Amino acid sequence: MTAFLVRRLAFACVTLFAVLTLVFVLVRIVPGDPAQLILGDQASREAIVALQHRLGLDLPLAQQYTVFLTGALRGDWGVSMVSGQPVIGEVLRVLPWTIELTLVSLVLGILLGVPAGVYAAIHRNRLIDYAVRISSLFGLSFPPFVAAIILLLLFAIALPWFPVISARSGSLMAWYQSITLPAVSLGLISAAYVTRVTRSAMLEVLSEDYVRTARAKGVPWNAVIWRHALRNALIPIITVVGLYLGILIGNSVLTEIVFSRPGLGKLLIGALNQRDYPMLQGMMVIYTLIVVLVNLLTDLAYGFVDPRVKLK
Amino acid sequence: MNTLVKAAPTPLAYFASATLKAFNTNKTSWIGLVVFLIVIVAAIFAPWLAPFDPNDQNIFEKLRAPTWEHWLGTDSFGRDTLSRLLYGARISLIIGIVSTFAAMLIGAVIGMLAGWHGGRVDTVTMQAMDVLLAFPSLILGLILVAMLGPSMVNIIIAIALTSIPPFARIARAPTIAVKEREFVEAGRALGYSDTRILAVHILPNIFPEILVMGSLWLANAIRTEASLAFVGLGVKPPTATWGGMIREGFENILDSYSLALAPSVAILVLIFALNLLGDGLRDAIDPKLKGET
Amino acid sequence: MKKVALAILSIALVSAPLAYAQKKSLVVGMGSADAGKLDPHIASTTPDKGLLSWMFNGLVRIRPGKISPEFIEPDLAESWTSNPAGTEWTFKLRRGVQCHHGYGEFTAEDAVYSIKRASNKATSSYSNDFSAVDKVEAPDKYTVKITLKNPVAGFLGYVANVNGGNQICKKAAEEMGENFAKKPIGTGPFMFSEYQPQQFVKLVANKQYFRGAPALEDITYRYIPADSSRDLAFQSGELDMIYGKQDQTWVDRTAKLPGVKVAAIEPAELSELYLNITVKPLDDIRVRQAIAYAIDRKAIVAFKGAGTSREAVSVIPSGYLGTDQKAPLFPYDLAKSKALLAEAGYPNGVTIKTIHTTLTGMQTLIEAVQAQLKKAGINLDIELVEHATFHAQIRKDLSPLVHYQAGRFPVADVYLTQFFDSNSIIGKPTAVTNFSHCNVADDEIRAARVSTDPAKQLALWKTAQEKIAKAVCGVPIYEQLQLWAWKDSLDLGYELSGSLNLSPPITEKTHFTK
Repeated sequence: MTAFLVRRLAFACVTLFAVLTLVFVLVRIVPGDPAQLILGDQASREAIVALQHRLGLDLPLAQQYTVFLTGALRGDWGVSMVSGQPVIGEVLRVLPWTIELTLVSLVLGILLGVPAGVYAAIHRNRLIDYAVRISSLFGLSFPPFVAAIILLLLFAIALPWFPVISARSGSLMAWYQSITLPAVSLGLISAAYVTRVTRSAMLEVLSEDYVRTARAKGVPWNAVIWRHALRNALIPIITVVGLYLGILIGNSVLTEIVFSRPGLGKLLIGALNQRDYPMLQGMMVIYTLIVVLVNLLTDLAYGFVDPRVKLK
Repeated sequence: MNTLVKAAPTPLAYFASATLKAFNTNKTSWIGLVVFLIVIVAAIFAPWLAPFDPNDQNIFEKLRAPTWEHWLGTDSFGRDTLSRLLYGARISLIIGIVSTFAAMLIGAVIGMLAGWHGGRVDTVTMQAMDVLLAFPSLILGLILVAMLGPSMVNIIIAIALTSIPPFARIARAPTIAVKEREFVEAGRALGYSDTRILAVHILPNIFPEILVMGSLWLANAIRTEASLAFVGLGVKPPTATWGGMIREGFENILDSYSLALAPSVAILVLIFALNLLGDGLRDAIDPKLKGET
Repeated sequence: MKKVALAILSIALVSAPLAYAQKKSLVVGMGSADAGKLDPHIASTTPDKGLLSWMFNGLVRIRPGKISPEFIEPDLAESWTSNPAGTEWTFKLRRGVQCHHGYGEFTAEDAVYSIKRASNKATSSYSNDFSAVDKVEAPDKYTVKITLKNPVAGFLGYVANVNGGNQICKKAAEEMGENFAKKPIGTGPFMFSEYQPQQFVKLVANKQYFRGAPALEDITYRYIPADSSRDLAFQSGELDMIYGKQDQTWVDRTAKLPGVKVAAIEPAELSELYLNITVKPLDDIRVRQAIAYAIDRKAIVAFKGAGTSREAVSVIPSGYLGTDQKAPLFPYDLAKSKALLAEAGYPNGVTIKTIHTTLTGMQTLIEAVQAQLKKAGINLDIELVEHATFHAQIRKDLSPLVHYQAGRFPVADVYLTQFFDSNSIIGKPTAVTNFSHCNVADDEIRAARVSTDPAKQLALWKTAQEKIAKAVCGVPIYEQLQLWAWKDSLDLGYELSGSLNLSPPITEKTHFTK
């Protein structure tokens, strides 16, 4: 177990290092002098040179690279060109909003998807199975922003139950009002994914010998399903859910826009529009960190679900 | 050599018959195929089918609800929504198909080479692919398009790049399996080059799986294009794209529902059809895994 | 399954009765993605100007709701006098005015500092407005004396509560330096409280305001760039006042909502295409004329809506002191346009690039223009960028054709100088917004600026506009009024017909009636 963890951690570090290098290269091959961008068009030559010096842009590339790497590791990601605030502060300020949204939608997806998938698998090829399959396929055909717009029109305008601007905080009620529509719009799509994975994983497991044996031994059917079969089916489910988290984080960008909700997505779009390179660098790093962390957690979850799984 | 080649299974022929069988078991696949073909035909014949020039503005007819003249109404410039929808299908399909095809090609080559060479090359390549796969593809696409500039070619490049890893993965495993088979050994013994062995003996074997993956990723590519257009990183105006139309429709949602509804339904139907199709193809390869994601 | 459905339903029902008790809090929805620079001497965008106007005062002000200089009244200065030549102005300041957040009393020292700061190129976007200022002094604690090199038409307008005339507190500005824009300190009815990037700026009431404590307790200024999100949030009651989408459809629809007031307010902003006369193919006047002939201004006004827009009358906005209301603009004539294009060597059409903002009102206009030009064989290649990027890039000369929408202080000199005087050409040290590199009317513009004979001044301005129109430095299109909507339970406290800061003033008297 420890050896496994060490190896995964090493891999995570390599990944992070690779992405940081990629970011460094990307930002430097894009045309345009950051100093000129920051100071604007009316800056004098001297002012630009001075700022280049201050930003370390006049150093040799190799040195810039080490400065960038050590800075990134120390949590110094530079300063946003637009707001003038440290990038890390801006990112950390909106990070909870995105994490919250992703987690709640994921939980929603699992709570809806796992039972639906199991139910469909048990009733394989019956009407209910077809209904679940078709509706889940339909669900994952939804572009996330379309689902979001529909929910917004239905439950914030036609039925004014929730706010249009999902940016409230402070009380539990405010939190609930702000998270519901965005999380449901993402959660339904995740539920579609989870349903499909659960169903096929369950079908696989149900055809295994030990399930039949358990059944033949007279173990109650419900216990067979929920205790034995599902437990074994969880491994592929966790794999897909772990991978899906990446998609979910991507989709949350669109959801945040439709619901005017603060978060990494809104910050990213703003940074893209304004060509805020330090901010983009920082966001790439934070996204990578999240991805690496999720991978680690997924691996750990295998062990948690089934201690017999040999972690290699 | 000839006898050896014949000894190998002919996967494509097998795949075709399996597909037919799977489609007949699961009739919804036919629906998917038919819808997909209809969209392709509509896109190809857009200039003949479209009642109006998609970019022709008529400011006295803006934001109209559907009428006999404008079946799907008009947008905020008085442009015919139906005509824009038909022309928009071209953009969605071209970007979707070209980027998926490029990803298939590059991914397959990377996967095959990694599997063929094995060892360190394999480890490094596949770990890089894993990183790319784990990274949110929409976000990578957004950043790439924003930096490269929103043109059709750049959008295709961005979507293709983010779609490479699954193809590399899917090409690698069968390559490793096939590598050990005797007809490959025989080919090697006869002095054939690696490239030739890969192209003639391995590619046909992994082709069905790549095709299935392709049909599923096509849906994803079309959705990604629409998402990019929705946040304003689409093909330049006045070109009609479905994602761009949804964006405009959302901007005018209080004046006309049909403007956002028509492209939303179109994209939903197309992606749904592709998913049905992909499901059927997948059943053909592995009938046991019905309906896995 | 049924249980789950029931649970979801019951959760939804619990949340149904939402109470919006905001009688003392005003929530405004602005159509931009984020705040720019919250420094009144630097800010030049509609979103920033409006917000800042609620925090700052001028030495004098134009009565809330009005835009004409005839409504100038005391603000921080209680009274003022000038010598007969109009070159020496003396202002007597109101006593006991307090700067926000305990920065002490506002005195002549602050006023002198403010005006010097606004005249300084390094700290102000409006330094050119003060180029005639010779000296600013404080003879005593409550007296400000400004000496001009030459008389300036409508000088009081430059020390009014707009742009460089906004008065800031010296101690705060010196203490904070570059960070002043992060916590602007003035003397107005509302004070800066909090800024959440891409979300909102919060202002709180300045209880010590010299005209009396404001009736509202706080203002939340939300940044919501999507027009529909803003409209939806306004309809659902989350916003009390919104910046409207710039077209007639919006006005018609919003006016139908119950309990809502919609206003189209002055000054109108002039939408104009500036053609860079130094780059190919626009350096050929025939190509520029072809563009001018291809624009159908009537159709554009029909597109934008007659209630909220009007045809341009000259290369500068209508109704300004000195605007030629019947300037010789090019009529719509497609045949002539095509002929000129062919004559210039482009019988098969020509492609012109423009970098353009994604601001919806402006984007729909440029797409309509694109369609009109297309008919003449002129392909407009539009590269869309976010509004702030647009402002940065056009000032780097990256866009051969610039579509700009602007209003200025209503005296012809300001607009002519900023957009057509060769000193204002972008890239020059004295650059402002001369995107066309126009230099054909320098003599007239400069002579008019220092002219003391009103009749001669008007004649010079008229000639300047004729020359500019003829050289096709700019192709004026239409004028757009500022559109706003608010709940009618909000009483602004004055009659609103216009605002030089482009947003309805929120004063100490503004309050909710229920």
